[in-house]
Amino acid sequence: MPQVSDCILRSPTLMKTRSLTWLPSNRAALASVAVLLSVVCLSSLVQAQQKMSKRYPAGKNVRIELKNISGTIVVESWNKDEIRLSATMESSNAHVVPRQIDESLVVDVMSDNRGRGDVGDINFRLQVPANSSVDLETRRGQISVLNLRGSSVRAHVSTEGDIELTNITASQVVAQNTIGNIFFDGEFSTGGTYEFKSTKGDITIRIPGNSAFRLVAASPAKRIALGDFWNNGFKTQDGRKYVGDVGDGRSSVSVTNFSGQITFLRK
Amino acid sequence: MNCEKCQELIHDLLDGSISRSDELTLNTHLRECLDCESVRQDLTSIVGFCRANRGEYEAPPNSQALWLRIRNVIESETIPVPSGARAPRKSFLADWMGRSWELSLPQLASLVAAIVLCVSLVTVVGVRRWGAPPPSMSQGSFSANSTPVTDRVFQRQQLISYWNQRVELNKARWSPEMRATFERNLQVIDQAVSQSLNELDRNPHDEISEQMLNESLNDKLALLKEFSDL
Repeated sequence: MPQVSDCILRSPTLMKTRSLTWLPSNRAALASVAVLLSVVCLSSLVQAQQKMSKRYPAGKNVRIELKNISGTIVVESWNKDEIRLSATMESSNAHVVPRQIDESLVVDVMSDNRGRGDVGDINFRLQVPANSSVDLETRRGQISVLNLRGSSVRAHVSTEGDIELTNITASQVVAQNTIGNIFFDGEFSTGGTYEFKSTKGDITIRIPGNSAFRLVAASPAKRIALGDFWNNGFKTQDGRKYVGDVGDGRSSVSVTNFSGQITFLRK
Repeated sequence: MNCEKCQELIHDLLDGSISRSDELTLNTHLRECLDCESVRQDLTSIVGFCRANRGEYEAPPNSQALWLRIRNVIESETIPVPSGARAPRKSFLADWMGRSWELSLPQLASLVAAIVLCVSLVTVVGVRRWGAPPPSMSQGSFSANSTPVTDRVFQRQQLISYWNQRVELNKARWSPEMRATFERNLQVIDQAVSQSLNELDRNPHDEISEQMLNESLNDKLALLKEFSDL
């Protein structure tokens, strides 16, 4: 008569349980395979990424025109009379062909990649002389501009992406996105025009306390904080729109934000 | 014998076909009339030169044109304008109507081309002036005017619908991330449009809501246009 213990030993269920037992050697092998796979994946990812870096001579009035599809754009000044353009392309299929026309450097990712399908993110970094003007566009992604004092700065994000304009002195500034914050830190030049617009995001403007400008600020959400720049001369329509002069109103500032906060800060 | 008869007889004299009696009469007159004698001498020398140089001179390349030019010179000289009195000035219309309209082939071709050009220009201007859609439909921006808000929204929605169709055709080519981003942002703009319309329902004369509505619709249109060629 078979013993109970014999039955258990011969049971297929028990055998299966035993085969699945985690032995130290098995764990080590599995870890090795995982590491190997990770290395392979990472190396293929690194291989897929492309990088380019080019330098261009700069004239007296440099103008940068960059139209990206997706990815970040960073523009900053440096102390050289030349332009340096660096780009990191997520896809090996992506194509970037900068063109220098007179004193302008033009990069149009849309035109350069027409018919190539999705080219993924392309992240740009530009180093330019401080007196350069920039016109930057992207469908999606963050735009940062630092330390420029050219005649104009335009940053346009069609959909979502923050815009940061830091230490800017330009007579014409336009910053617009749909979703994302807009931050401006700089000065308003005499006779200049400044336009900031977002549908869903906070707009913060940090300027010197002695700035003089005519302001039209609209926010249906009634979230407008003029801080030290508020005065009794401002006319408001139930807090949704403020119109008035700060100082002698030498420059024109328009801020529109549908559902975010508008904040003025003094430097 | 008068001078007119005399000059007729001079031709006969030079041709050698004059009668004896006429020759005597002619010679008598020529001795008395220095003008007719001068004509005789001129004609004699011309005929003599031609006879002497028969076959040696070259005909002008275009004798017809030469004769036309000579005739024009003669005609212009036969209508002398008195220096003291000014000729009565014809009106422009009378001058224009009385003008001879003989045109060469290139002139005629130029005239036809000019007429075609004028008619084309007039047609284009007319079509643009009277046949084009109202500015609010054709232009990119949505400016406030006297038409009711609902009409303007309807017009703008038609444009949006057109661009939306174009976007839908291209969407399949986008990456999933780009599609999601687009939808998310379009939704945000649609919310802004909807809120503005609701506010305008409550207060039809609210300027801020109208401004926001305009800007939101413009933003939506701009977004669709930008993504239509992606």
